[in-house]
Amino acid sequence: MAEFIKNRVNRGIVFAIVIIFLELIGFTVTVTIMIGKFADVRRATDPIFLMIFFAILGLWNGTCGKDLPQKTIRNFILGGFISGLVTGILVGITAFILGYLNIQGVDLRQYLVQLSSFTIELFLYNLTPPAGAFAHILIFTISGLLGGLLSYVSEKGHYFKFLKEKTTDFFQTVTNHPLIQQIWGKRYTRYILYTLGIAALILLPQQIGSYWNFILGTVGIYILLGLGLNLIVGLSGQLVLGYVAFFAIGAYTFALLSAPKPYDINMNFWLALGFGILAATLTGVLLGLPILNLRGDYLAIVTLAFGEIIRNLIRSDLLTPYTLGPRGVREIAEPTLFGRSFSSEVDYMYIIILTVFLLIFITDRIQNSRVGRAWLAIKDDQTVAQANGVNTFKYKLLALALGAAFAGLAGGVFAARNQFTGPEDHTLMVSINVLCLVIVGGMGSIPGIILGAFVLKGIPEMLRDFEIYRMLFFGVLLIIMMIVRPEGLWPAKRPVLEKRKSAPGGDMDEKAGKTIEGVQDAG
Amino acid sequence: MTTSGKKSKTTYTRPATSKIIQLVVGVIVSLWLFWRVYQVVIIQQAFTPETWVRLGMSGLIIGGMYALIAIGYTLVYGILFMINFAHGEVMMIGAFGGYFVLEALNAVYIPGSDQALVNAYPVVSIILAFILGMTVAAASGYFLEKLAYRPLRNAPRLVPLISAIGASIFLQNASQLLFGPRRRDYANPEVLSRGSGWVIQIGDSQVMFTYTGMLSIALSAALMIGLYLLVQRTKLGKAMRAVAQDKKTAALMGIDVNDVISKTFIISGALAGAAGVMWGIHNGVINYFTGFLPGIKAFTAAVLGGIGSIPGAMLGGFFLGIIESIGPAALGIDFQLKDVIAFSILVLVLIFRPSGILGEALSEEKL
Repeated sequence: MAEFIKNRVNRGIVFAIVIIFLELIGFTVTVTIMIGKFADVRRATDPIFLMIFFAILGLWNGTCGKDLPQKTIRNFILGGFISGLVTGILVGITAFILGYLNIQGVDLRQYLVQLSSFTIELFLYNLTPPAGAFAHILIFTISGLLGGLLSYVSEKGHYFKFLKEKTTDFFQTVTNHPLIQQIWGKRYTRYILYTLGIAALILLPQQIGSYWNFILGTVGIYILLGLGLNLIVGLSGQLVLGYVAFFAIGAYTFALLSAPKPYDINMNFWLALGFGILAATLTGVLLGLPILNLRGDYLAIVTLAFGEIIRNLIRSDLLTPYTLGPRGVREIAEPTLFGRSFSSEVDYMYIIILTVFLLIFITDRIQNSRVGRAWLAIKDDQTVAQANGVNTFKYKLLALALGAAFAGLAGGVFAARNQFTGPEDHTLMVSINVLCLVIVGGMGSIPGIILGAFVLKGIPEMLRDFEIYRMLFFGVLLIIMMIVRPEGLWPAKRPVLEKRKSAPGGDMDEKAGKTIEGVQDAG
Repeated sequence: MTTSGKKSKTTYTRPATSKIIQLVVGVIVSLWLFWRVYQVVIIQQAFTPETWVRLGMSGLIIGGMYALIAIGYTLVYGILFMINFAHGEVMMIGAFGGYFVLEALNAVYIPGSDQALVNAYPVVSIILAFILGMTVAAASGYFLEKLAYRPLRNAPRLVPLISAIGASIFLQNASQLLFGPRRRDYANPEVLSRGSGWVIQIGDSQVMFTYTGMLSIALSAALMIGLYLLVQRTKLGKAMRAVAQDKKTAALMGIDVNDVISKTFIISGALAGAAGVMWGIHNGVINYFTGFLPGIKAFTAAVLGGIGSIPGAMLGGFFLGIIESIGPAALGIDFQLKDVIAFSILVLVLIFRPSGILGEALSEEKL
């Protein structure tokens, strides 16, 4: 019993810390405005919306489950009550202190920038400090109690379980229905779906306007980068942290060759793009030759250093005459074909979509070829791969060169779309973002990468209201993701042949394939 | 970790051609470097001796901080074989801890006089700043391990790295949201104000040894000696070395592995926190981004010295600090390019001596 109470108190403390943290970073105001907008009845910053937010958190705080000694209604209510009370008291004390300081006229913003008078008053529900503190205790205790009750009800009534079973049953009946099976199995269905998809991709850029085109274009460029890094990290298992170097070299080669300043070469778009890819590939090979014998983290750190070297060199005074330094290169060539210029937002979107399809096609073909299998072998165990006659060095170099080529292409497209490229477009954060999207999406899985790019680049762009908080949540998301689902959102599957051949233990292999496949050791 | 462990052989050989190419390139590069340094230093006499002393001093000061942070990387890498990517952020948190102590003491005046506490009791306030900075940083290291790394103890190597990147992003942004993006001035006591120091005559010119710099060097040296004694002489140090060598066997010998790992994170966090406070006192300004570059540089230093080796991390830190501050001058290029030099050194060392300056050849499983 003592253990149980301790657990509940701990849970209450954790929730209190999270809520106080949210208050200190000013998130309470943002969330109030969000809920206010959603409800759209009264003033957007009515304290009632904050109460609703806290009540929801309080319900979550009160839920109990596995940690109960006996599953009696008394324990459920007690558990919810204890957690809620602890959270309420701690949050209440904090609110009281903040409110008191605010009334005394202390400018807390000097130290904690988000704590304006308004934030603090909202945190106290526009009440006096003691009343606000009491309101906190009340809200958290009651919602905690209700949370405990709710989890009792769902536990005893099996409502959630029941609901879940019903829905899965329903989906299974639908998908197993002979008619559906028949339609799905038809070749024409696939064709129709493909046609619809292509039609959507052709029509969408024209319809969605420049804002969405910009966001989706960014997502598309990150998909390109993700596909490239996927070859290196996901398929051949080499951890590269300086992937942005190739991106930068592709972008800069392309930009310098096609822009009027500083060289006045004014090369054709397509030719310059080709040179950009070539330069990135060459860099990949030249970098790979000496360092690919390093393993794991050393390789990661050397490539990280390389990325920083390239960026620092580009922006340095030493190379400013050649790269235009921190100001970046402007007026980059626009794509032309048959005398027509393709330079509107929609055209760039089409170029990005086509490039994505091209790279997906290439990746898919390589993945299922001899090279792809060699990479898989290297990724699983380099020593064993070598013992089996795979020229590990050659294939690793190939992966790096190809990945670099993809990055060069992405860089060229990126520079062309923005009509600008500067050193700050190529910071370490780009490498990290790309690595994260590959891993969050699922290493080695093409749909996973597309999904990852949408989740990590698209959704944050859409959440403009949360703008200043999105990197914070991105960090938390990465940690939670690694703990809960390290194999990624859409894990890769082994080539099908392999599964079929393992006849006797086939079932087991398949299971193992599902669980282990996602993330393999890159070291 | 400095274990006198067995040197295991690497089981693969490099392709011969690339080895030869490497050797040739290496010789050419080093010859060119020597020629260039000779040109600048001896022939052109680009700088006076006094400048060299000054540059060397600033290299030592910054190197001491790098070394303290690098030890944290090395301790963690030695035990968990993971890059604690958020370690730079731990240092930044330490710097903020010290900042708030000094700021608070600066705001409170002694009754009946117009002297702030920080000026009335400079030694006490500096000690308090270090203690609080180290405590906060140690606590953040502890919770970092507990929340972000411990659940991933047995996961593949890439997983904790991503988690560490996530933690780094989180801490950076949390600090930006809490304390704002602007730079904050460290409220040093007047006796320790930046720019004051002992002036020493060298030849016919003067060199100033700043108090803040001397304090940093002395303190970092003291902390390093303390750490070395801790690792070599105490029971905890013995346990840490044992866990670094073999977790399973250490557990069988009755060592609480989780406890040792927690304490390792606390120790490395405290060292990074000390480095953070030094950074604030010596450089004067901090903001949420303070930890990022020193973090990467310190990792570079740890790799330079041979990751996993404590003396290596110390040596690597000082080496990197000095190279970074003397290098641009000696090569006769812009000081802007000090990062390029630091990272180039890293790349070169890893290509020609992958185990680092003092490192032992790591066995396959550790790489």
